[in-house]
Amino acid sequence: MLCERCKIREANIQYTEVINGVKTEHNFCAQCAKEMDFGPYSAIFDGEFPLAQLLSGLLGGEMPVQKKDRLSQVTCPTCSMSYEEFVNNSCFGCADCYSIFDPLIHDNIKQLQGSDSHKGKRPLYQDFPEESRGDAAIVAEEETAKNNNSAKQQLRAWERKLKEALRVEDYENAAAYRDRIRALKEGMEADA
Amino acid sequence: MLKWFEQAEQNSSNIICSKIRLARNWSEYVFPSRLSGEESREMLARLGEGLQDLGDADGRDYEFAYLDELSDLDKRALKERRILNSFIVEKKGPMSILITREEDVSLLLNGTDHIKIQVWQPGLSLTEALKTANQVDDFVNSRFSYAFDEKYGYLTSFPTNVGTGMRATAIVHLPTLSMGKKFPSMLNDMGRIGVSVRGVYGEGRENYGALYEISNQKTMGRTEKELVDLVSKVAVQLDDQERQIREMSLGSHRLEREDEVYKSYGVLKYAKRLTMKDAMTFLSQVMCGIADGLVKTEEPCPVFCLMLGIQTANLQKLSDRPLDKGELDVARAAYLRSELPRLSDR
Repeated sequence: MLCERCKIREANIQYTEVINGVKTEHNFCAQCAKEMDFGPYSAIFDGEFPLAQLLSGLLGGEMPVQKKDRLSQVTCPTCSMSYEEFVNNSCFGCADCYSIFDPLIHDNIKQLQGSDSHKGKRPLYQDFPEESRGDAAIVAEEETAKNNNSAKQQLRAWERKLKEALRVEDYENAAAYRDRIRALKEGMEADA
Repeated sequence: MLKWFEQAEQNSSNIICSKIRLARNWSEYVFPSRLSGEESREMLARLGEGLQDLGDADGRDYEFAYLDELSDLDKRALKERRILNSFIVEKKGPMSILITREEDVSLLLNGTDHIKIQVWQPGLSLTEALKTANQVDDFVNSRFSYAFDEKYGYLTSFPTNVGTGMRATAIVHLPTLSMGKKFPSMLNDMGRIGVSVRGVYGEGRENYGALYEISNQKTMGRTEKELVDLVSKVAVQLDDQERQIREMSLGSHRLEREDEVYKSYGVLKYAKRLTMKDAMTFLSQVMCGIADGLVKTEEPCPVFCLMLGIQTANLQKLSDRPLDKGELDVARAAYLRSELPRLSDR
């Protein structure tokens, strides 16, 4: 059978579409299939088709383009992994990525795992997790940071602020903190 | 020291062995994919130092090795024995491993996650394996604080492991059940209850040896115990169904079954060349025959251990020179002639 699009090459890809219960079948050649848009499944025709890409499709594929553009610039301050990189590899760079990307990936993790909250074992020995500490504690820590004039502690405090800002989708403040963190990091490197 | 799979006796159950894997990360470092070579080495040195007395704490005898100091062949052999996976064998960069002489407990450091604890046990003993894994986990945790989140649980590199970080696996032998027409669709349906089943050996769609690996698909939202119970339940049910069909076939076709088992034994014991596919198929038959009491061997015959023994890297390791494909088939047959115990007179 010839490809129904170019009518030149042999069709070797059968594409079945089911819309509202109505099934239509198409036959394409590999080249035409590649040129057409099959959404997240396009990767299949790009030659390589690793599992990670399918997973990536699941993790980030269905977002509206405009929103996605803005989001792809979100970057984890700890390991400098960008959201775009995360979607490409389906792999987190560090523990902080979870909270940084949380607003973006929450629904996907729920879809992937069938749940979004851990049940079961907790570490026996653990410092109190930062997220569950009250704002007062964080402010207090920020104060000490300033008093001690310790750049590292200041950095951590701002990073926490950045996370919080991202969580509530306050992108203006997030950008401000990101810039401060960057400046501070550059300063630290210059000192070193 | 015998390895755990060498101690395993072939019994009437079709559940061959159980495995628990826990993925953990140290909160002080970014995940392995973002660590530089230098940071990796520093972390490995600190982990190695902190885990030095693990053996004293749990009474096991651990060996320590840096993976880049092992030969490719050694790594491939560890992969065949399911200590390493193919991702780790291919992965570059500093990694190390702590492993008992019995190879039942191992800790892979700086693989996909900072710490991967893995425990193997013969038979269906996921609960026991989980207990051991938890003990090791608590020891590691007493030295190193984990990346843990109140909501997401244990944080891992891949979102597919987050939560408990646990994968419970049981390997079952299903030679008769897997011949059924509905078997493939049954395996697919397992996904709906959160369990994945896949063939252990084989190429493409073919399965050699009828061994299937059952494990929990999801790692979050259920406790470790619930996940272990789920995998155990499915394993027991498959074992039960397999047993029922085999009993039926013994009732109506005993002679044919005996004939098949003895022929398979004969080929394994006397052949001069055996391909992987043939050897696995005949071993699967013998496994079946021993489980059903159709044949008895003079000494205990751990068939799963023989299945591990005839894999390429292991045969290659036993030989003093590199073997090509034809020579491997000869080495495989020689291995089985010498390792397969003799049948006892009944």
